[in-house]
This record gives sequence, C-alpha cells and structure tokens, in this order.
Amino acid sequence: MIDKTKAWLKERILIDKNKSSEIIEKALKEPIPKHMKNWFYAIGATPLLLFLFQIITGILLTFYYVPSPEGAYESVRHITQDIQMGFWIRGLHRWASNFMLIAMMLHIVRVFFTRGYRKPRELNWIIGILMLITTLGLCFTGYSLVFNQLSYWAATVGTNMIKELPLVGETILRFLRGGTEVTGNTITRFYNLHMGLLPTILFVLIVVHIVFVRIHGVSKLEEHEESYPFYPEHFYHTIVIVLFLLITLSALTVILPPGIGEPANPSVTPPHIKPEWYFFAVYSILKIFPLRIGIYLLIAVLIVATFWPFIDEYMQARLPKIKINYWVGSLVIILFLIFTVVEIIVT
Amino acid sequence: MNLEEKMKFLSRRDFLVKLIFGGGLIAGFLLLFRNGMAFLFPPKEKKVAQKLLIARKNELEIGKAKEFKVGDNSFFIVNTEDGLKVFSAICTHLGCKIKWEQYRNRFYCPCHQGVFDVRGKVVSGPPPRPLDEFRVEIKNNLVYMWLDESQGNMA
Repeated sequence: MIDKTKAWLKERILIDKNKSSEIIEKALKEPIPKHMKNWFYAIGATPLLLFLFQIITGILLTFYYVPSPEGAYESVRHITQDIQMGFWIRGLHRWASNFMLIAMMLHIVRVFFTRGYRKPRELNWIIGILMLITTLGLCFTGYSLVFNQLSYWAATVGTNMIKELPLVGETILRFLRGGTEVTGNTITRFYNLHMGLLPTILFVLIVVHIVFVRIHGVSKLEEHEESYPFYPEHFYHTIVIVLFLLITLSALTVILPPGIGEPANPSVTPPHIKPEWYFFAVYSILKIFPLRIGIYLLIAVLIVATFWPFIDEYMQARLPKIKINYWVGSLVIILFLIFTVVEIIVT
Repeated sequence: MNLEEKMKFLSRRDFLVKLIFGGGLIAGFLLLFRNGMAFLFPPKEKKVAQKLLIARKNELEIGKAKEFKVGDNSFFIVNTEDGLKVFSAICTHLGCKIKWEQYRNRFYCPCHQGVFDVRGKVVSGPPPRPLDEFRVEIKNNLVYMWLDESQGNMA
C-alpha cells in the first residue's frame, strides 16, 4: 500500500531522489568562515524564526479578532480573558514581537561593528534597513489594533507625524487613515497592513536578503580564514536559540501576561501617554525639538542609516586610521539607551 | 541582426499585433491603477460653513474655560479679557486632545507636553502654531460660533 502510494506520487511529482538530496546536501554543507562559531553570529536567523512564529500565533489570533472600532477592544478582551489559552497566544505574539525587534537590533549592531556591509554587500544592508522599517510598521499597526487608549492616541500621533513628511506626507496620511480623520476605515486599514501587506513585503525582503547572503557568502574577517560547514554546528546554534526563546517567551507570558488597558476614548487623551519602548527615542526627539526639525532629524537619521555603507567607504578612503563605524555605532547605541532609559524613569 | 535592423523588418501586421497587445495591457493596467487609487482614497467630504449656538454670554466668568462638543469634535470656549474665544481642543502638534488646567491658567497636551495660554498661544513645548481658533458672534446675549473649514483643519 505504502509502496503503491509512493510510486503514484513519484510519477506525478517527478523528483529525482538523488538530485534533490544533492541539493539539500549542498545547502546544508555551505561552508562558512570559522569566526561564525561565535554565538553573536547566530542571531541573524532569529528574527526569521520569530517571524514564522508570529505568523502562526497571528493566524490564531485572527480567529477571534474583530477589526472594527466597536468590536476591536472587546474582541481583544474576549481573547485575553474568556478564550481558553487566549492570554497565552496573545502574550506570545506580543512578547515575540518585542524579541523579534531586539534580535534585529542585535543583528544590525553585529553587522555594523564588523562592517559586514562592505562591498559587495551594500544592497543587502539597505534591504536590512527596509526590513527594520517594515517590522516597526508591523509593531505600530499591531499595538494600534488592540484599540485601547494607547492604541488610539499612538495611531493619532503616529499618522499625524507622517503628515509632516515633505511632499508625500498628506497622501500617505490619507492612505493610512482612509480619509482625513482616524475612523473605522483606519482600523480596517491597519488590520490589512498588519496581516496582509506588511508581512508579505517582509517575507519577500527576507527571501531576497537570504538569497543575497547565499550569493555573496559570509564575509571573511581575515583573508585566509578557515571555514566549516553550516550543518550541524551553526544549525544547532540556531536551534538552541529558538528553544531558549520559546521557553523565555512562554515564561514571560505567564509571569507578565499582556494587559488590555482602557478602551479607546477619542475625547480624552490620558495624562501619561507613551508609545512602546522601541519608539521612546523618537518620542523624546518629538518632545525636545519643534515638530518640523524633529521630523527632518528623523528623516536624516534614516537616510544616513540607509546609505551608511557608502558613507563609510567614503570616510575610510579619506580617514583610513579612524574606525568611524565604531564611533558612530557607539554614539547611536548610547543615545538610544539614554533616551529609552530616561523615558522609562520619567513618568 | 541588431535592433535597428529588426525595427526595419517589423511588418505592419506585427506592428499592429504588438500595438494592440501592448497597448491593451498598458491601458488595462492604467485603468486598474486609477480605479484602485479611487478605491483606496475616499473623496474628501465637502465642508460647509455653519453657525452654531454654543453658550449664553454671561455663563462664563473671565479667565474660565469650558469644554463642549459638536458631533465628535471637542472645543473650548474661553472668556478672556479680550472677549470670548473658541478654540479647537486638538493640539496643533500631533493631534492629541488638550486639557484646560484652571489652577495654572493654561491648556496642556499630555502627549508631548505642549502648553498654550488662555489666548491659545504656544507657551512651551513643541507645538508649531497656536490653537485653531473659531470666529465667535454674540447676539442678544447668545454666543454663536462659525464652523468653517478655513479656520481649522477639523470640524
């Protein structure tokens, strides 16, 4: 019976067993340089795995979530308080989003300090920046969907910020809000972005990113660095990280379950309104600087970040003795940490 | 055969076929794009100026403010020494709702700590311009406001 099924399938799928195992073998035995044995070089894969994890938990959440101004908050409350294991699924989704962002930041830090973006890998760095922006978009639309006070006012402030962008601001604002104000249109749009458009974009970017990594190979730190196969050691590094993350995520969800907050109220801005921690730096800049200057400052940071590989190359050619990426990288990390910690302490 | 030679040999029949297929695809794509945009961007609602009765003249002491709503939108009416003023309750920075703080005699926005004085002027914080003000009309002890597109970005 099994043999018959096998034969039936074989005739239809037309896969040459030897050839396919050869391909798999080749993919697994991909040689990577020795320095990759350091654990810091295994964090690149974690955002991908967490993204897959988000897809699973996200699809589960859609079974109960209602994307409407009247239904959104109530359905999140329903998931969190009434549905069996609802708090767990939602908590995992929420914690994993934080972890995904942290993993991406760590990966970026690693690439930045080892100058992994050098020629010919500049385009992959830019794709990485696009992935970071897409992920931040996912985070922002995600916590807006809860439709509590934080969601509502974050959505209002966030979309108003976009309005200040030169030339395209007004159009993007109307696209995001589905009109000129935050209405029922806005929440269905955020829902679509969160589970349709943005994940699709992120998926495509991830595929391109990995293809690029495979085409270029991993850059060697020294010219004659020994290499070792991707499988099993590096593969198991990744698996260990995944297992660690799954346990941590579940533990965090049980210890610190996700709250639901106050339902959105368009006529009252609560006294202490703050975005999620990863936007604290942006939030501080907006508080300190006048609106226009703040927005232009953020755009400038984004442009420098995107084209950093070229800036770095230019600077290296002129000032070969200074490790400019060390200085800029350290400065950005210190500023980000200062802003974040200050916002955590100051209520 | 290079491109130029090829172009020379393009028969009338081939040209027409290419024109119809290519043109059809492009036209189809443009139509989809145009209608898709119309689908995504709802038309702006037309706004009409209207006069609304909002308060009685002696209802408010000097230096006091009162919040009121028109539809979903909130406003403040303030009695200043220069007379009655009506402001939108939406902060001009990033659109949060401001509060009136009587003991400090100011409007305060909790989102990014913008502060406006009783006349709607920016005192401190990041707001780029004063509060949106609406025209007030007083007739027979009754206070009216004009809701007009040109006077604010909302309403």
